[in-house]
Amino acid sequence: MKLLGEFVKGLWRENPTFRIVLGLCPTLAVSTSVSNGFGMGIAATFVLIGSNIFISLIRSIVPEKVRIPCFIVVIATFVTIADLFMKAYTPLLSRSLGMFVPLIVVNCIVLGRAEVFSSKEPPLKSILDALGMGVGFTWALVLISTIREALGNGTVMGFPLARTFQPALFMILAPGALLTIGLLIGMFNYFAARRR
Amino acid sequence: MNQLFRFGSILTVICLVATLVLAVTYEITKPKIEQYEKQEEERALLAIMPQADSFVKKSLDGIDYFESLRGNELIGYCVRVLGSGYSGYIRIIAGVDLNGVIQGVQILEHTETPGLGSRISEVRPGEKEPWFTAQFKGKQGKTVTLKRDIDAITGATISSRAVTDAVRNAVNDFLAKVNR
Repeated sequence: MKLLGEFVKGLWRENPTFRIVLGLCPTLAVSTSVSNGFGMGIAATFVLIGSNIFISLIRSIVPEKVRIPCFIVVIATFVTIADLFMKAYTPLLSRSLGMFVPLIVVNCIVLGRAEVFSSKEPPLKSILDALGMGVGFTWALVLISTIREALGNGTVMGFPLARTFQPALFMILAPGALLTIGLLIGMFNYFAARRR
Repeated sequence: MNQLFRFGSILTVICLVATLVLAVTYEITKPKIEQYEKQEEERALLAIMPQADSFVKKSLDGIDYFESLRGNELIGYCVRVLGSGYSGYIRIIAGVDLNGVIQGVQILEHTETPGLGSRISEVRPGEKEPWFTAQFKGKQGKTVTLKRDIDAITGATISSRAVTDAVRNAVNDFLAKVNR
């Protein structure tokens, strides 16, 4: 039960995008279409699981004062290995997810989880934490990108909606992302506050 | 001092292990990746000049290019182009006929921002080829210019210009050398 809690908390209570507000840079850049948002979410989940496992395994030998460079080396190494293997053995997947890789290395959710969670907890719990955070990040990205793609491009998943309005181009540019994310966070905060 | 040494050596060991693992992975995956890139290049060549039945790889003053042959007749050239995009190199192949008119442009690899610059290779639903690169067909390779001949992608002017300028410069360099 307690293990399940490590997974569930990422979905809502500690959702990386809406509650902790981490990883906004890739969120702004990538949430222009549902397929991009989903791809980034899946790639980030994969990297989160890998980096959380490794960091949890080496947590006892890493001295606290040099932990950040150690974590960054481990994360960057893992991401590069994953990237090379994808390129070699699943080239098609690599073509669609590969462009997210440079964005994931600098994704602060990955370093954030290393710092807050996997550097203190055993591997199994770290995996569940990574899964929860990854799924939480993915659904947040899909929600944001659905809104932006529908309003900004007049499509959802690439398929056109009924042409009842003129798509507002600025929704798929950076200001549209800030507006969407801001309004969503505000809305979620409002409902969370009312429930209390 | 003692502590400095201890932390330094732990960090060094971690970096060494990481480098070793990376080097091994690179060597293992290298042949596979190269093989796939070669296949992809062949596919791009055929997509640019479907009427050609063989491509002969040649090199001239450091420019890699392919002669497109139908039977024994030379019908055009395909040139490898490297453009500097917004966040890295864009690997392109551009095909021109003997008069320098562009037959096709294919983007092999890029690292542009997903959703903005990445639309240089976006295929719209129901269409077969990326709309951005399709615009190059039939344009004069020596003078092709963004905004005059090619519509830029909204929010991705740098990526659009990178592709257009790289193609124009590469075609000019190449034709100047090959016709010399």
